[in-house]
Amino acid sequence: MLKKKIIKKDHLKPFLRKLSKGSDLIAPVRNGLGDVLYEKIHSIDHQEIDLSTQPQESAKAFLFPQSEALYTYDCSQGYRFSQEKDGRPTVLFGLRSCDISAILYMDVIFMRGPKDLHYVRRREKTIIIGIGCNKPWENCFCNATKSGPFLEFGFDLQLTDLGDRYFVESGRARGDSLIDNWPQFFLPVTEEDERLRYQLVLEARSGFTRQVHVDSAFNRIKDVGVDASIWEHLATRCDGCGGCAYICPTCTCFTIFDRPTSRDKGQRIRTWDSCTHLGFTEMAGGANPVNPQRDRLKRRFLHKLYYDYLEFKRPSCVGCGRCLGICFGGVDIGLFVELVCSNSKKGREEDSANILAKLLVEAGLVDQEEIEEALAQRAKTGTPLGKILVEKGLVTKGQLAEVLMEKVEKS
Amino acid sequence: MTNSIEEIAGSEVIFVIGSNTTEAHPQIARRIIRAVDKGATLIVADPRDTAMAEIADIHLKLNPGTDIPLLNAMMRVILREGLIDDAFIEMRTENFNALRDTLFAQDFDALVELTGISPELIKRAARLYASAQKATICYCLGITQHVCGTANVESIANLAMITGHVEQDYTGVNPLRGQNNVQGACDMGALPGVFPGYQAVSDEKVREKFARAWKTDLPEAPGLTVMDMTHQGVRNGIKAMFIMGENPVLSDPDSSAVEKNLSSLDFLAVADIFLTETAQLADVVFPAASFAEKTGTITNSERRVQLMQRAIEPLGECRADTEIIAALSNLMGYPMNYQEPAEIMEEIALLTPIYGGIYHDRLERSWGIQWPCPNREHPGTPYLHKYSFARGRGRFVPASHIPPKELPDGDYPFMLITGRTYHHYHTGGMTRASEILSREEKEAFVEINPQDAERIRVRNGQLVRLRSRRGEITVRARATKRVPEGILYTTFHFAESPVNRLTNPARDPVAKCPEYKVCAVAVEPADG
Repeated sequence: MLKKKIIKKDHLKPFLRKLSKGSDLIAPVRNGLGDVLYEKIHSIDHQEIDLSTQPQESAKAFLFPQSEALYTYDCSQGYRFSQEKDGRPTVLFGLRSCDISAILYMDVIFMRGPKDLHYVRRREKTIIIGIGCNKPWENCFCNATKSGPFLEFGFDLQLTDLGDRYFVESGRARGDSLIDNWPQFFLPVTEEDERLRYQLVLEARSGFTRQVHVDSAFNRIKDVGVDASIWEHLATRCDGCGGCAYICPTCTCFTIFDRPTSRDKGQRIRTWDSCTHLGFTEMAGGANPVNPQRDRLKRRFLHKLYYDYLEFKRPSCVGCGRCLGICFGGVDIGLFVELVCSNSKKGREEDSANILAKLLVEAGLVDQEEIEEALAQRAKTGTPLGKILVEKGLVTKGQLAEVLMEKVEKS
Repeated sequence: MTNSIEEIAGSEVIFVIGSNTTEAHPQIARRIIRAVDKGATLIVADPRDTAMAEIADIHLKLNPGTDIPLLNAMMRVILREGLIDDAFIEMRTENFNALRDTLFAQDFDALVELTGISPELIKRAARLYASAQKATICYCLGITQHVCGTANVESIANLAMITGHVEQDYTGVNPLRGQNNVQGACDMGALPGVFPGYQAVSDEKVREKFARAWKTDLPEAPGLTVMDMTHQGVRNGIKAMFIMGENPVLSDPDSSAVEKNLSSLDFLAVADIFLTETAQLADVVFPAASFAEKTGTITNSERRVQLMQRAIEPLGECRADTEIIAALSNLMGYPMNYQEPAEIMEEIALLTPIYGGIYHDRLERSWGIQWPCPNREHPGTPYLHKYSFARGRGRFVPASHIPPKELPDGDYPFMLITGRTYHHYHTGGMTRASEILSREEKEAFVEINPQDAERIRVRNGQLVRLRSRRGEITVRARATKRVPEGILYTTFHFAESPVNRLTNPARDPVAKCPEYKVCAVAVEPADG
């Protein structure tokens, strides 16, 4: 049984101070301009750790840096390569559930099959202490991607804010040992604490203001695909700047190049890349299989919401909402899901109206001309087809019910 | 800009002319897109199918260099249909009769024919712009980089004033500045005829004020314009030059002439963050600090003065531009001992009325202050010309068509437009050093209409030679319907294909801005 404890808010800083000995401590820090970012803590007394706001960027860069030297090379006397092998012990503190879910996704990308040594050396020495979100922020939709607001696993410790104290639960043996190492900070959990936490989790789940129907979008894509007009709409607004991929906690694509520092010495560098960049798939001769921008957007959104869904039974969007509002053209995953779903709703209503029309004509109750007129009226006013026909006196409610019952019985 | 960037998102009608906003000003484009998604009407005047034109309600695909006929045609429609703002014209402007007479003296059909646009489209655009409550104009170098650049801008001002689309929020005339601090450079007097804050060199009182503060005599005559120095400096008696953060060997028109002129100076010093093509000609090169290595302010398009704090210690031996200037000045016998950039800002505030209330301590932890800001208590000015224009009444300056200096002919049958591309900045000094950005756009290209390409037997992706009366370069052809037949488009980011060897150094007589946007060229396969 994994441990559950209470830590008083007053004792959090002393606990973090202990943790930061011998490890790099990364935490959400509010800077002078009011922005909250995950930052390395150099001085626990002089940096304002802020657990009340979602940090502007995810913690991706601490495991998969935006730019890193894979190795340095020296060809002056034969060929010599040197590579960093050890990772520094790191504590990622105050991570949001979306950001932890994103790390679990990165684990799959970098550690399944051939392991990425640069990722692994950091990841193995990283302790994750998360904090659940009592109140989701404006753009959050982790409920729809099942990656928050609280997690069941994936963390070493997870905190829940109970006002003057945190409820602390351990997610694995390493979490237990953190509690065991510094037992002086932790108090036993009371029944009241358990009840309060349970309530907070329930309330948090009902606190989302933005509805992003990720599941419906998946089903719609699976059943009928995405209307070409949606891709066109998005493509005219996308600059291909790659900002969405850089801010996305689960975008893991990178590119590699050599950066010489002299004639025979240099570094092999890996940096983040983005599938919305033209050069991402461009071949040496200039041919590009994923062109124009429309196709690149298609790949980006389908990867997150469809292909990964097929492979892992969940999307690789973690619902952090960071791409919402960052795109210059407003091309974000929220808009895409909305377009796909509204298209779907319209489509479904149209389908059912057409089916009803066909049944009525087949039953000989309404003739073709009348039904077409009524369908046109439906398209224009949005009034349901049945209501239009009843109001026109072409059919009675009873006849409608009969026709529909017959259809149900047949199927 | 007369108005603020954020206001664009709240406009009802946005008229974009001579601006490839999406690629050159993404931060402006995002406001335009936001307005369009809210239901605003977008009118774009551009010879090419830019991304902005694609989402526009009306695309006025004008012939290059026919902005004045287009604007005059629109104004004629507005006048004829009584869509002018009489009260505004009466109370706030002067010389309206001259404009009206000029417009009515011009034949509408002839104007329309010059532009190559359908008259119906022009009428629709004119009606939409004039009848909106909140209409704004954004323009850029497609307006100014012509021999008639000044007249183009005046015509835009005429259009805004006859319809009263100034002096209120969500309206205005908004030139989009191309660099983070080009507005600041102009504000600080990096112009030949003015001291900081546009105070004229010719004004004796102004000269006295600066002479007292700087304890030195100041010349009465304006200095030389950039091209007078870069092209004809030696002929104009210049012996030595100090060039900072500018790469005229690539960026000035007829660049072979620049190279020749700079090479014949007695002495050339260049300060830049990389060894640019211009720096390679220099006798002395000063390594300058990049934006991240220094503290100071920048002033953006909407006149917003913002403080940038040093983020990293300067690398190697580089120093901030101000330190380089001060060190040189000290050695040359004029002591400049500024402790920190804030002290320079205090001097600016003291001598420059529009910056009078702008100090570093006010800028810290804020998004900046928009000038004019005359004193410490003043909150700054989001939009200009409220209640009165800077000069009193707004003056209408009528204009007639002024054709580009060099039009296509039998020897040089194509019209070449030069501009920018999304992933590169100017002569590429910074952006081409970024692996990802240079991967996105590796080499120079010329956009050519597929019909033209077929006619001259050039395949998409083939190398072609572009020739003008001034020089020739080799670039890769990109066959695309984005450009109409007879027109080519290329950019000036690539030193291997220095397009400014081709461009025409003909200049606007007032602003002295060269006609980068139009020159006549011939194109042929490079291997044929």
